[in-house]
Amino acid sequence: MAASRKSRINAPPAPSTTLVLDNGADTIKAGFVTGAKTDEPRIIPNCLARDRHRKTYVGSELQKCRDFGEMAFRRPVEKGYIVSWEAQKEIWDREFLDDKAPQKCDPSESRLVLTEQPNALPALQTHCDQMVFEEFGFASYCRTIGPALNAYQDIQAIFHTPRAPDTSIDVPAEILLVVDSGYSHTTVTPVVQGRPLHPAIRRLDVGGKLMTNYLARLLSVRHFDMRNEPFIVNEMKEAVCYVSLDFKGDLEKTWKGTRGERREDYLGGGGIAKDYVLPDSHTTFHGVVREYEPGISARARKAAVSTEDVLTLRNERFVVPETLFNPPDIGLRQPGLADLVMQSLSVLPIGLWPGLLANIVVVGGNARFDNFIQRLQMELLELVPDECVVRVARPENAVTSTWLGAAKFARHEHVERLAVTKQEYEENGAGWVARKFAAGLGVDT
Amino acid sequence: MNNFGVIEIASTTTKNTPGWAYVPDTGPTLSAALQPTNRKRAARNLPALSLSDLSAREETRIRKDLEALDRDNHRDVHIPIPPRPGGSRAQNKHTPNVRRILQSQKTFANHLDDYQAMLALAESNPTAAAAMTATQTKPSTPTVAASKSASPAPTAAPAAAGSKRSAAAAKRAAAREKEEQEKKKARQTPKQEPEPEPEPEPKPQQPQQDTDVEMSDAPSTSQPAPTSEETPQNSQTYPRESLILPPYAKPPPQPHPGDADPLLVSYVPPFPSDDELRALMTAPPLSYLEARATWSEDERRYPVRVFCTVCGYWGRVKCMKCGTRVCALDCLETHREECVTRYGL
Repeated sequence: MAASRKSRINAPPAPSTTLVLDNGADTIKAGFVTGAKTDEPRIIPNCLARDRHRKTYVGSELQKCRDFGEMAFRRPVEKGYIVSWEAQKEIWDREFLDDKAPQKCDPSESRLVLTEQPNALPALQTHCDQMVFEEFGFASYCRTIGPALNAYQDIQAIFHTPRAPDTSIDVPAEILLVVDSGYSHTTVTPVVQGRPLHPAIRRLDVGGKLMTNYLARLLSVRHFDMRNEPFIVNEMKEAVCYVSLDFKGDLEKTWKGTRGERREDYLGGGGIAKDYVLPDSHTTFHGVVREYEPGISARARKAAVSTEDVLTLRNERFVVPETLFNPPDIGLRQPGLADLVMQSLSVLPIGLWPGLLANIVVVGGNARFDNFIQRLQMELLELVPDECVVRVARPENAVTSTWLGAAKFARHEHVERLAVTKQEYEENGAGWVARKFAAGLGVDT
Repeated sequence: MNNFGVIEIASTTTKNTPGWAYVPDTGPTLSAALQPTNRKRAARNLPALSLSDLSAREETRIRKDLEALDRDNHRDVHIPIPPRPGGSRAQNKHTPNVRRILQSQKTFANHLDDYQAMLALAESNPTAAAAMTATQTKPSTPTVAASKSASPAPTAAPAAAGSKRSAAAAKRAAAREKEEQEKKKARQTPKQEPEPEPEPEPKPQQPQQDTDVEMSDAPSTSQPAPTSEETPQNSQTYPRESLILPPYAKPPPQPHPGDADPLLVSYVPPFPSDDELRALMTAPPLSYLEARATWSEDERRYPVRVFCTVCGYWGRVKCMKCGTRVCALDCLETHREECVTRYGL
């Protein structure tokens, strides 16, 4: 103990530049925090991608790619955790460390704030710490649970809570429940005073990847084989999928009917059917959503079959996100999202429920589905005691929300308490660092 | 009971030997199930399957489907790291750790298996596991937690608590505050688990400043020291004595004529005590598998929804050959065209 205090006193002042990285499975959100200045985060695809001409794109080079047909991906992050450091190092090198990198960063003079998903495997955490210090050599480093960092944002602004203009903003927020629905999985994290309540963190193994693959499977049964086109299917999913507020009703509207039956809703589209024009890889490279036109589409398809491929999407639009709320539909034996929240709450004292339920923030890429928050609120209201107010909100930009929280955290006093310097790492070793990060902020009293 | 001097050691291991087996005797019906008297009626005597129980074939199909959904690419691809455009950076020498990590071809599943193996080892052979933890970090295991909670002597605490509290209530000089923060930090840094400390050192919260989240003082006798605009005399606070979540100190909402109506009174659950909160906030993380949500009892009770495999409507009809669900005749015909009943499919 004495040694560490001594080293703290002797330690050089904290680096003024902080590189804040939200290293997601699909995209990296990265930006610098220097003093009081916070840059806009850059969103970098976190993958090595290879197109059909066997040209490989690393990270943000993917923007240069035009033809996304038959893309293949290699992702360094699996299930939300960095696994393949060979690939991750290549992407980080090209984005941050090389001489001509778009976000040039000098590790020896900056601090790294890296988010991680909760409940990581200790071996992977140690790998991460070792790479950061021994390979990249950051001067100071802090690895924290990503969803909990949302607490450092102005949470009540997300809820549009009416308040006097001069009210102080609690940073970190006293209490909130973060639902983080990302590429690999969906987690529920209750946060009190910026500290995640670890015993109550729950995970549902449904994420964006599973939904994209599920959509590809449905399409390959009903239309074309799209299983080799993850990029195109993902674009389609983001463009057309929505969360249904009335699943039974919507399913009824999209049913073709029994033999010989002519259902009005089916023929007219029922307000659900949409046409999706696939890219042809010669003139168009991105799909286009079109309104479903009952009479025309049949004719148009016959006439223009040679020029463009049109898919009519009906129940695919809402069945795919439905897996989040009803995982048993695809055979996954896990509870739906609302039950997931309840399971998380069930290990907490009931006194915390009102506070958590009234401050549910949904972040992550899947939160962008239409009606996501309404559906979650609707299902939760049925499950919680009558007196509880349930408020579910989504920040303006659900993808960068965690990054913005992390940027605020990087300027907060808490980061000083949690960060580890390179010197401390060399003195105390990886095990000590891992234990320090696992303990988190602790409690002030 | 006097077993003629023979002491039976409880064991849960099962040994398979040709001809016969040692099986732990855990329930009365087990032996009957293992050696059914009437093999002809064995299937009938099995416990009834519930609606959500699936046959083995279905089980396998679903597992394969889920594995397919979990893949990044439909086909197996290997994308090597492309060479740098402007020649590679000067290859500085990697440390042994880094070289090992970079060369590791393990997937997440491999790491998860390793972790499970380590946990199993910790259960069966604690000494070997302790040796492993010395080399590999494992923050959530009890061994580490035990070693962590060894730092301050709890016996000296009550006396110190009294003096500290009175001192804090008397005068809160800035210097002292800083010193305590230093102490807190120092306490957190090396042995990070802040065990339930016997003496809370509460401070008033100053939310609008970007400083430490400090807590209000002296639960019962003296009230929190007045910070900028907080009015601590507010007796109708909801979390009454909590320091971790300080009481609501802003002016209460407008009174309403229905406030006194007994029918409108809402029940307020008891708020957790500071000790409970502290235990929750400092609890170690769960392991990857523990955090995975599983079906609770009452979800298992409901049948799963089934869908038409062709069009996605409710699966109202079963194919008589293979049991696949379809919605109606049209879809059934589409399905029959490709309905194959392969053995083991």
